[in-house]
Amino acid sequence: MTEGSWYKMLVISTILHLLVITATSIPARKYVKRLDLTTSYSVNLVGDTAGDLSKGPASASSIGGTAKTETIAQKKETEKVTQRKKQMPQRKESKIISLSKKKPPLKHDTPTNNNLTKDELNSLERRIKEIKKKTNYLDVTQMGPSSGTSGPAAGLKGSGAATQGYGLPVSSFGSGIPLDLVSQKYIFDIWEKIKQAWGLPGSYASKKDLESIVTIKIRKDGRIIDINFEKRSGNRLYDESILRAIRSIDPLPPIPPSFNSDTMEIGFRFLPGDIS
Amino acid sequence: MELSNLNMYTGGVLSMLYSAGPVAKAVVLILLCFSILSWTIIFFKIRQFNKTEKDGERFIKTLKEIDSFKKLVSIYKSGSDNAFYRLFIATYKGLSSTKSENPGITKETLERLENILKITISEEAERLERRLSFLATTANTAPFIGLFGTVWGIMDAFREIGLRGTTSLAVVAPGISEALITTAIGLAAAIPAVLAYNYFLGRLKGILSKMENASIYLLNSIEK
Repeated sequence: MTEGSWYKMLVISTILHLLVITATSIPARKYVKRLDLTTSYSVNLVGDTAGDLSKGPASASSIGGTAKTETIAQKKETEKVTQRKKQMPQRKESKIISLSKKKPPLKHDTPTNNNLTKDELNSLERRIKEIKKKTNYLDVTQMGPSSGTSGPAAGLKGSGAATQGYGLPVSSFGSGIPLDLVSQKYIFDIWEKIKQAWGLPGSYASKKDLESIVTIKIRKDGRIIDINFEKRSGNRLYDESILRAIRSIDPLPPIPPSFNSDTMEIGFRFLPGDIS
Repeated sequence: MELSNLNMYTGGVLSMLYSAGPVAKAVVLILLCFSILSWTIIFFKIRQFNKTEKDGERFIKTLKEIDSFKKLVSIYKSGSDNAFYRLFIATYKGLSSTKSENPGITKETLERLENILKITISEEAERLERRLSFLATTANTAPFIGLFGTVWGIMDAFREIGLRGTTSLAVVAPGISEALITTAIGLAAAIPAVLAYNYFLGRLKGILSKMENASIYLLNSIEK
């Protein structure tokens, strides 16, 4: 038995291992694919959404001027989210949380403007209602009354902070400065797009405990430059379906000029209920 | 956010490994080396044992048919890679060296020949046994190496559960299933090694007893 036959055996053994490895991976791939294809579907949910959102810490920090307020604001936000969840477990929520970290337009920067904003808000609110009536944009009234501070109501039991309808990310936590309508519609359209692109096996619709929060960063020209999981659901398939959905809508239309910033950061909360 | 993450669950074992941690990957690599080497040894030993057994049968057959040792030497001229022939050559050399001093076959000569045969048999046994110990090593250590990978993976999985703060099965299951791969591969490497090791030990005994028979036959024919 020479050295040559050792090499021969080594080659045979390696080939055998490669065969086994490929054999173990191919059937699994087929199986998973079938699972995906047969049961996944996506539904257009227009008209079925009740917006609730909370504005990110941006304007809070712009008014408070310190990082401290920002963290407080975030705490408030999470508290609010959990509270809301308890109150309305059955409700289908559209979860749009604007986390625009860029400062809003300059005029909101000084605390002295706080008084003015309420007036502004009221007039804005009125105007928004008018426009919505005109355009029959979406049925807001069924969502319940406004919580008072800003924007069309989402029927949320306001916890002091501003709540708005339709994924209209309006600054919350005291400042109550709404985004202009164009930006609100822009964000809402993104959410609709994501939901249309989002597909999951049917069995996931009943898994109530899955929840992911994703923030996306959009460049001025509409390209998504960053996708970040604030919270993962823990189920990889679920998280990846969200990622896929977001990637599939890239690029988006350009950010509306009225938003007045180079990038826009929007947070979305994904619950399995959104799909069916 | 790499794109590769997307394919995590679309593949089989391979893609699961892809998403596993570095420790699991290292463990799998080590186990793969163990497995490849042990299978190399298995294939090599199967060939070696088959050849030795066949050679032995042929040798004993020709030994019974032929009465002159010189004829036997001429038959096996080229077949130097025959364990039984080496047995015979050793005896033949021992015999011829004693013959030059003392032409008659005494009891002393026979004893000397017997010793030479014993040494040759043990040398041949060593040749056959060589590297079989690696199979035993694989059989013993591979499951433990795999288990190490699993324990490490589960440790990681639990830490992650702690960080996420959720305990649903959907969170726990992927990490643990990833971790268990290493044990599975360890067992896959160890089981053939155990089977082959025991099989070869059994065959080795058979071949050695054949060699002893052949050597006794040689001594008998010399005595005559």
